[in-house]
Amino acid sequence: MLSKPSPLNSCRFEGCTLTGALSVTTSIREGITVIHGPSGCAHHNFSLLHSTNLDHNRIAVPHIVSSGLLDSEIVFGGEEALERAIESAISQSPKSVFVLSTCITETIGDDVIAVCGKHWDVPVIPIPTAGFLGGSFQMGVNNALKTIAGLIGVYSNNGSVNIIGEKNLEYEVEENYTEIKRLLSLLDLQVNVRFIHNISTTDIEKIGRASLNILRDAELVSVGKQLFQQFGTPFIESFPTGFSGTITFLNQIAEIYGLQGQETITYEESLHESILDDFRDITGSSIAVDHSFMISPDYAFFHEVVKDLHIKIKPDGCLVPIPISPPIGTMGIKRMLHRWRRAIHAQM
Amino acid sequence: MPKCENPLWPCAMTGATACLAGFEGITVVIHGSSGCYYYPTTLLHVPLHGTFILENEVIFGSEERLHEVIEELQGKGKRIAIVTSCVPAILGEDIRSMLDSNDIILVDSPGFSGNFEIGYHTALSILEPAIDSDAVGINIDGVSLFDPFHRGNVQEVVRLLTQACVPAGTVLCFDHIDKLKHCSPFTLGVDGDLASGLGNYLGNTLGFHAINETFNRIGQVIEDSNVESVINENSRQEERVIQVCDKFLRRFDPPSVVIFASFSIGAFVANLLDKYLDAEIVCIGSRTDQKYDLPYQVQRVDGLSDVKRLIDYYTPDLVVGSSFERSVKGGAAFVGITPPLRGTVRLASRPLAGIEGSLFLIEDVLNACMDRQSA
Repeated sequence: MLSKPSPLNSCRFEGCTLTGALSVTTSIREGITVIHGPSGCAHHNFSLLHSTNLDHNRIAVPHIVSSGLLDSEIVFGGEEALERAIESAISQSPKSVFVLSTCITETIGDDVIAVCGKHWDVPVIPIPTAGFLGGSFQMGVNNALKTIAGLIGVYSNNGSVNIIGEKNLEYEVEENYTEIKRLLSLLDLQVNVRFIHNISTTDIEKIGRASLNILRDAELVSVGKQLFQQFGTPFIESFPTGFSGTITFLNQIAEIYGLQGQETITYEESLHESILDDFRDITGSSIAVDHSFMISPDYAFFHEVVKDLHIKIKPDGCLVPIPISPPIGTMGIKRMLHRWRRAIHAQM
Repeated sequence: MPKCENPLWPCAMTGATACLAGFEGITVVIHGSSGCYYYPTTLLHVPLHGTFILENEVIFGSEERLHEVIEELQGKGKRIAIVTSCVPAILGEDIRSMLDSNDIILVDSPGFSGNFEIGYHTALSILEPAIDSDAVGINIDGVSLFDPFHRGNVQEVVRLLTQACVPAGTVLCFDHIDKLKHCSPFTLGVDGDLASGLGNYLGNTLGFHAINETFNRIGQVIEDSNVESVINENSRQEERVIQVCDKFLRRFDPPSVVIFASFSIGAFVANLLDKYLDAEIVCIGSRTDQKYDLPYQVQRVDGLSDVKRLIDYYTPDLVVGSSFERSVKGGAAFVGITPPLRGTVRLASRPLAGIEGSLFLIEDVLNACMDRQSA
């Protein structure tokens, strides 16, 4: 269907650059984000981020100021309204102000960069957005990460690991981070900075200290490359998915750090066996899936689990939930199997 | 709206969509980007469609894309309604002339044209609801998918009308599109900010006093109605509220309250808490314009900074509002009545209107105040 979002026709449904950039800038605690556009754009995103924060047990609300454009500014230009919004943001003493434009201000041709370039008492940082005219949601995330990284100087290395570009609007964002932290701890490694997830301006400045950057997914490779050029930090392209993906991930890290990882790998493989044992009661069950999802290499985890548990795929099988975003690490697979077992038991 | 910190209320495009999508028999298409589509979809919880225009359609025109989407949706027994968002509205395209069929509803309601209520009323006026002098019953208006209490309100008001032997007329805007041309000559309301102005208005259903007045009028103008049982039930339930509030006041001081809501709902809550709980209504922070005088201070509140300022200034015992207010309420008790109500699971159809609506509200207020005292 052309008029509804579908994974088969995704180019039109990739969301708003503004929302992507906001998911990053509102995760910096002492910053304020100015949205240059009608107040509706700011309300929509504020409401969405507020909801996401509550899902993540964070009462704090994102700090957003709208330039509140009305018909008159659409006709005569909105740069003065933007200046007033920036002044209002600065009056609240933030450490930085991020300015995001919307599709409507891009269309009417407001010069956002020129307004941000005026003399302000705190850094006023324009981030290339422009709603759907700026590209996709992911483009907004990448633009924000690259712009902010570009402001940071070099620090001495402390051997730790940065987590880059977490999906801040993802329901399981904290659980996925916890899994990566667990895997790193098996190799005695620590997280340096979550770039950028609920951190302070001071934390951002530490990004150059890590020896490895782990990207949330391959969509962030251009960010990984920029950070490599800036700080010389190598990167792993994605959080691990599936049991074998998790083992590969651990091996990659061990190799980068020159560690002997066999003991860790053996431990993790035994954990995989233990989890599969816990789900032996659904061995041989029949499930139904939407095959359009399954052709992607991102879904290798699915085929692996199906094979491990001798699950049959049949059109009249139980419709089990397949996460659109592949489950992360060992614990992600475990949670997915709980959801499958609930669905299979419900059908009995 | 001039510059504003964390704007609290949706735009006209969302208002128009909420109005149109409330009618069975209409397929709503948001003509704009995916970003403009996702918000009303997550807020209104109904199927919506979009044109999801891309940059090349802004440059070269969106006609082909609009036709593509319309072709997909036509012939399925529903009227198509197109709602324009900001960018298509300023491109200068004559969208009406692009539409082959006059049966397609076009609502030009970009976000920059105003707030939710403006879009809702614009869409409703384009639908041209009409009174049918032969239509029986009483219309219910002020219903909006945006309101978390809309299903409960309709169920409760229909229950009361049924009890009074009066059929429900057209529900604006939560009914079948065909009923829009056969509205009853009489109307009652659940939210004055969204009043349609259609028909002879018999009153609202917010609070015991209003219910009493409205059903007395119904008894006078609707033949064969029997409003006595509703009025009796209203009195009995009001008496229960008086008793439970009186019991509360034997142990506790009445709360000082700041209410954040649309004006009509805020006025209802203020009257209820003042009358039955002797609450001190220190301020109503209204999301919409003040429509008439009240014996309480009313301030227009557009952004979260206004909310924080009022709460910090008045340090109320109780905050009534949305989950935005809950996030900055400090040590005050909280009751949620205003959209959005994020961060809580809500499945049942709770009303705010009708007898049950007042009972639910008083229940929530007393429980929240007592929980705060014991915390």
